[in-house]
Amino acid sequence: MHYVLYRELISLYIFMGLGEWGKRGRGREEMEEQVEGLGRAFVDHYYYLFDNDRSSLPSLYHSTSMLTFEGHKVQGVDEISQKLNLLPFDQCQHVISTIDSQPSSFTGGIMVFVSGSLKLPGEEHQLRFSQMFHLVPSSEGSFFVQNDIFRLNYG
Amino acid sequence: MDPDAVAKAFVEHYYSTFDANRANLANLYQESSMLTFEGQKIQGSPNIVAKLTSLPFQQCQHSITTVDCQPSGPAGGMLVFVSGNLQLAGEQHALKFSQMFHLMPTPQGSFYVLNDIFRLNYA
Repeated sequence: MHYVLYRELISLYIFMGLGEWGKRGRGREEMEEQVEGLGRAFVDHYYYLFDNDRSSLPSLYHSTSMLTFEGHKVQGVDEISQKLNLLPFDQCQHVISTIDSQPSSFTGGIMVFVSGSLKLPGEEHQLRFSQMFHLVPSSEGSFFVQNDIFRLNYG
Repeated sequence: MDPDAVAKAFVEHYYSTFDANRANLANLYQESSMLTFEGQKIQGSPNIVAKLTSLPFQQCQHSITTVDCQPSGPAGGMLVFVSGNLQLAGEQHALKFSQMFHLMPTPQGSFYVLNDIFRLNYA
């Protein structure tokens, strides 16, 4: 159900012409709001999947997608899936502190910059992290993650 | 040119310019450039430079801990993700920050900053 709501939001934003933000006449504030809303919806969906259904995360990536996780670079759905599945913890919970979004180009892409905490079971202290996503419209009328960079923020 | 080398060169140039004279950052931004600085959104080079030069400190020094980069797509753009410390003159403790840049190529063979997002990392 969570996934269905996310896809409906995506369709709504695309229908509202998010991909045409470069055209004249588009109110800047309205566009900013749309982009921020889309960024929040994506973040909500991404970390929900990560924390509850990690094996479904690869569906957000394509063959051209790139992930850099703590400096380690992988590309494509298979490598990204393997990297995420092999992280040294089975359970985790992301708690998001900040989400910043901007349109990334004139073709409907979106940059999303996140900071937050990562709780691992059995660990007393939370890890702090920053992550950026570059979302690109897909031919199926949704978005996929073209670029993903994750870094822990050491105290 | 090697993307990692380009990213490193950009980061060094950006922060040394920032620390020496923030007004000189103007030619790294264009009219379409966007900056989100601690949640505040600004667009266009003059507005961005006005924001950066009006930050409430005269002197600062950035020291960079990590630089990650990836190509952003067929237009030749590059994403650069930075983390590091920001030392303000007179302050005992350095602030920790993360920043992302989306660089786009210029016709002259250089890059400008299309997207810029800055966040302090609180403990």
